[in-house]
This record gives sequence, structure tokens and C-alpha cells, in this order.
Amino acid sequence: MSTDADDGTVREIGHDEFDPVGTAALIVVYFIILVVMWVFMYFVEFLGRGPTVVG
Amino acid sequence: MEVHRFEKIWTAAALLLIVGFISTIVYGAVGPGVTMVEDDGGTTDQADVSAALADELDWSQVENFEAPTPKAQHVSGDKYEAYVVTKQFAFQPGTGQPLRVPAGSTVTLYVTSPDVLHGFEMVGTNVNLIIMPGQISEITVEFDEPGTYSMVCSEYCGAAHHVMEGRVEVVPQSQFDSTEG
Amino acid sequence: MATNETTFADQFPKSARLTRLSFGVAFTALAIGGLFGLIQALHRTDIYRVLPSPDYYTLLTGHGVLLALVFTTFFIAGLFSWGISNSLDRDLPGDWISWSWWIMMTVGTVMAALAIIGALIPQIPMQADVLFTFYVPLKGHPVFYIGVVLLLVGSWVAGYDWFRTFWSWRKDNRGERIPLQTFMVLITMLMWYLSTMGVAAEVLIFVLPWSLGLVSQIDPLITRTLFWFFGHPVVYFWLLPAYLAWYTVLPKLSGGRLFSDPLARVVFVLFLLLSTPVGYHHQYIDPGISEGFKFVAMTNTMFLLLPSFLTAFTVVASIEHGARQRGGKGYLSWLRSLPWDEPAFTGMALAGLLFAAGGFSGMVNAGMNLNYLVHNTLWVPGHFHLTVGTAAALTFMAVSYWLVPQLTGKKLRLRAFALIQPYVWFLGMTLMSNAMHRGGLIGLPRRTAEPEWNLPGGSFSEGIGSLNEIQLQIAVGGILLFTGIVLFLAVMVATWMGRETPTIDVDSTIPPALSGAENSPRILDNYRLWFAIAVVLVVIAYGVPLWDMVADGVFSPGSNPVTP
Repeated sequence: MSTDADDGTVREIGHDEFDPVGTAALIVVYFIILVVMWVFMYFVEFLGRGPTVVG
Repeated sequence: MEVHRFEKIWTAAALLLIVGFISTIVYGAVGPGVTMVEDDGGTTDQADVSAALADELDWSQVENFEAPTPKAQHVSGDKYEAYVVTKQFAFQPGTGQPLRVPAGSTVTLYVTSPDVLHGFEMVGTNVNLIIMPGQISEITVEFDEPGTYSMVCSEYCGAAHHVMEGRVEVVPQSQFDSTEG
Repeated sequence: MATNETTFADQFPKSARLTRLSFGVAFTALAIGGLFGLIQALHRTDIYRVLPSPDYYTLLTGHGVLLALVFTTFFIAGLFSWGISNSLDRDLPGDWISWSWWIMMTVGTVMAALAIIGALIPQIPMQADVLFTFYVPLKGHPVFYIGVVLLLVGSWVAGYDWFRTFWSWRKDNRGERIPLQTFMVLITMLMWYLSTMGVAAEVLIFVLPWSLGLVSQIDPLITRTLFWFFGHPVVYFWLLPAYLAWYTVLPKLSGGRLFSDPLARVVFVLFLLLSTPVGYHHQYIDPGISEGFKFVAMTNTMFLLLPSFLTAFTVVASIEHGARQRGGKGYLSWLRSLPWDEPAFTGMALAGLLFAAGGFSGMVNAGMNLNYLVHNTLWVPGHFHLTVGTAAALTFMAVSYWLVPQLTGKKLRLRAFALIQPYVWFLGMTLMSNAMHRGGLIGLPRRTAEPEWNLPGGSFSEGIGSLNEIQLQIAVGGILLFTGIVLFLAVMVATWMGRETPTIDVDSTIPPALSGAENSPRILDNYRLWFAIAVVLVVIAYGVPLWDMVADGVFSPGSNPVTP
């Protein structure tokens, strides 16, 4: 693949025909990862260890 | 303004996530009662701390601070307090003699520095502070079980920063009472 | 230029010259700073040492300053010069004002670099072993601080160069929406002007006079607070140019069009408003600041996640558009239709992917009480190597593959190196950064030449991984990253020094966005309004606490200088 004008486009997709379903799928996965990782970090790693500053 | 409906949904979800993060943090402060270090430790003159450490000034002349001792001082009930100095390149107490507190106690620590910024971090715990000359960091920590914790200096303080380490020993009450202070 | 086509360098020679020279300094800083990083990685993992441990801090200062201040600022100056001319279709004036910023920035860089290196060279009577954050009471040589000031003031003049080019375009184009790349440059610079007030005040009012002996004591709390007034927004100064590349160039490289110009504008405005009033989230465990102000900084920071979340959607949607125009189908298999054999695309896409991970560790850092877990541990460099070290740095390298041919009139050389470089970076960063995050969770501190292995109370407990395996990954990762730098620099040098070619093999046209500026309210372009609101938010976040700090004495509680 070269970086010239031939960019591999096989069809044009205009504004009204495009729904980013792939992006939606990826972002849902990311959202879930964030929630799981946050809960793990906060409740297992952080609150699960002591001693902690309480005053 | 034109926004695709997927992106509107994502914006709502993102805001929900943000509120969720904030709520978790508030829970941590309200439920388990995790508290941020603040300004209630007061200020002091770092030159006085430095002079007192060198036995050139009496600790009673140092504002808002007392002489650091290896054995925590009893206040009342299960409450104790301890004064710790972080300096280039040692914890006092901590490095030479460990800081000793009894198991099952609630200890208020007062920490300051006579020279530069230091870190006061008990490895493997959530006790983690920046110690600043002129300021006194005041925190309260509950020590339940006996054990030994390592302290490292977590804020770069000069050429020998990497050797600065110490120990906190949480000892059973009877052992604590019988040792010299 | 000897090409048959008209390149950016032909159309806008003054802009192209300033960009080339800025990139030249940037890449030199990248080379030296990168080498230091390699030495550090091998030193602190105790695998191979060439210097005694006290010298580690000299290298660490050099690494931070050369990469996070010099490489970034100079690359951004070049990228923005290009972006202004490219989107306004107008050359920079290229007069003595234009040259003055490059000269000031370069002279400042050389001064600061000499002061830092002086610690290793007995013939140079200077040292600046104070790290990139130069916290007081540690003191470096005055030449270091003067160098930093010159770099900063130079960047302000560069901003003026871009603003005046925009104003002259504005006179001929009344009523037009600001072209997106120019809009992004102006908004970023407004945020920069606001945020650099903090570090400028810190250095000019306090640290420089103190380092010269004109004032004997200054207050570490005030200076540290002023530093972090700047220290958080600076990361957006690094990130927004990467976002400029992701929003305006990456869709085209993917074979598609930007999903939404209006949302890109909204995102940049949000960054202008929220980047600065959050600095306390770097001071959660500092004394002398009440929990209330820390809480306000925390909530502002959490809302600052929103423009990055929006960016994730808009940028990925634009990439997806390109993939589908290239024939991609399905929910995930469209990813395969992307030009993974195109270095500029691959670098930016992998940078974005790693940034998604780095964003998460940033969320943890921002979590006020959660910060107790990670502050000053190795988690923190794990985080920022993903953000400035990948989202920004890898994107900058990737965009260079596309831009440097246009700036020089020469085709990209050593394409095979360029092709593998992003993958090498990705692998190296994955290894090093994940090990740093886990190392932080078992308590390994950052910014230390030798994590104290033989702790009297016991050593670092094994968590998700053992100490040895973590160290090994950091070392291997660091070696791979340095290899990535060498590959990148080889491509740049070979291209720059190469013969001129009939064609540069780069399609520089950027197609219009799927949803253009005309679909957004004109008020978005009212940068004066957004700047005013940004100032108000900063006064609210910082006014009272800074007043409190100054009220007990501008210079007290004060500290004398300590030479590290």
C-alpha cells in the first residue's frame, strides 16, 4: 500500500447513510471495562487494603 | 446543533459514569471514612525544626510540633499520637529506631520536614503523604493487627533519596507498654 | 523543490521553514531524552548500570525536560504552524517576530539543557538535579530557570504569530466560520496562555530571584501550587495537538471523513474551560490545602473526562467511516479493512488504543481518596507514558511520516522502518506500562534510582506479579521503546537528507467533514467568550486558596535553598 492518491476507497458513504454501529460496539465494550476496572481498583485494591487515613 | 443519536446516548452514559466515579469517592469519604490530609496540622518554622533536631533549640520553641520519639505517646483510651520528621535522608523515628504503635490503636501522626519535600509512604497501605517544610501533615490512622510496615520516601529529595527508608512496628499492647519510650 | 507537484513547502515556504526547524529541535530532544530513558530503565531495574545512582536524577531531569517540555513544545509549534497555514491557506508572516519565537525557545532550551548536563560534567559549574517539576526548596542553577522562562515566552510569541495570521485572514473573510484546524490552534493557545500564568508567576516572582540570592526564603506550598496551576493544563497542551491530528488527519488516512466538526469544536471549548481549575488533583496528599478545595478539583477533573470520552466516539466513528468506505463490514471486522500497512495511520490508531488504557489510570489518579493508593508510586509513570508518551508522542511520530514529505518535498525513505515502528512502540509500551502500573500497586515508588529492595520490614509484597518479572518487563519495554525512537529518527534523517523526488507519494487533501461547521452554533467560534468563562472558573477554583497561602506572608512559611 502506498501513500498516494489511491486510498483504497471502494464506495462513498454520505452523511445520511452512516450509522457508526462498529463504534457503538467498541465503546460499549470500553464502558464495561471501565466500570469493572474502577470497581476493582476502588473496592478491592484500595478499600481492601489498610491501614488507611481516616482523620 | 446536529448530534448523532448514538453520540447523544454515549454522552449520557459518559456523564453517568462520571457521576458514578464521584459517588464512589464520596462513599469512600462517608462510609469507610477516608479523609484527605488538610491544613489542620498548622504551620511551623522549618529552621526551628532543623535547629531542634541538632539540639540547638528546645522542642518547646517549635510551633505546632513536639519532639519525635520512637514510641507513640498515649493520649487517652486507645488514642495515641506520634511526631515524625522526614529529613535528608532518614525518617526520625523510623530509620534508626522504628516507630512503635500498639495494635488496636488510633494514632494521630504529625509529620514535618526541616529541609526539603519528602514522601511518607507506608508500603502496601493507603498511608501516603507529601511532607513539606513549613507545614505539618496531620493524619489519623487505625492500626488493628500487629505487624511491620516499611516506609519509603516517595518524593525526590536529593542525591541519596533512594536510601531513605524506615519501619513502623505495630506491636501487641502488652509488648508496647513494657518497652522503653 | 524538485517535485512535479506543489507541496506545502512550495505554497507556504515561511511556514514550512519554521515547521522544519521546530521539528529539527524536537527530534534532537527526542533522541537525547530517549537515550536517557533507556539508561534509566536499565538502571532502576538493576540490569545494567553505567552511572552511579546519584547521577540517575540528572538523567531523570533531562528525560523529563527534554521530552515533556522541549520535544513536545517544539513539535507542537511546528504542527500548529502547519495547521494554521494549511487551514487558512495563508503563509505565516515569517518576519523577525516569527523568527524571534524559534530563537528564544531554542536558546532557552540550550541554557536549560546545559544547566542540567552540568551535573555530569565537572567543567560546567552548573547543576539542575531538580526534576521536571523543580520543586522548591531543591534549587538548581539560575541558568536553568532562565532557560525555562525563555522557552515559555517563546511559546507565547509563537501563539501571537498564529493569532495575527488568523486576524489578517479574518479581515478578508468576515462572517466565515473559523476553519477547524485554526480553531483548534487558537483554543489550545488560549488555554496555554491562561495556564502558563501559574508557572510564569512561580518562576519570575519566586524561584528565579531566590535562586539568584535576591530573596532568601520562599514558600514551598505557594510555589508548588503555582506549578500545578500549570502542571495539569500542560498535559492538555500536549494532548490537544494529538487530538488535532486525530480529528483532522486520521479520518482522511483511514479513507473517510471526520464524523462531526461541531463536536470537535465543543470538545476543544470544554478543554479551554476545564483544563486549568483542576490543578489540586496533583496535590491531594499535600498539607496546607483544605479538603473542600481538593473536592472541587476532583469534580472538575471528573467532568474533564467528558471531552475525551466524546473524542473517543467521534474519532473512532470517523475511522469506521473510512473502513466502511474501504469495503469494511460487520460490527468488528471492519477493523481489518483499515490501512494497517500505512505508518501514519497505524501510529495514530495504536496511539489512540493505548490512550484508552492511559485514560483509565488517569481516572484512578483523579479519584481524590483513591489517590492515596497510587500517589508517587510507579503507577504514575505507567499512566503518563501511555498519555504523553504514546497518545502524544506516538501520534507526533505518526503524523511526521505524513507531514515531513510535504515539508521537504522528499518522499518518505526507509518505509520498512516506518511500517514496523508503531508496532514496536506499541509492544514496548504495553510491556513497560503494564509492569509499571502493577509495580505501583505493590508499592514501588517512582522517581527513584533504586527502589529500596532490602526493606527492614520486608520487601515489596507480591501482588499481581512478582518483583523480578515486573522489573524485566520494564527493562525489555524500555529497550523496545528506545528501538522505536531509533527507527523513527532513522526514517526522519534518511528522508530529510534524501534526494528530492519527482513525487512525494502523499495525498495531502483533507475531505470535508460528514457534519460540517455549518451545523454548529456560531457562538462556538466566540473564543473571547470562552476565554472569559475559563478565567472566571480559575478564579473560583484558585482565588480563595491562593489568597489564603499569600495572606500568611508571601514568602512564608519560607525555606532556604537546598542544593540536591
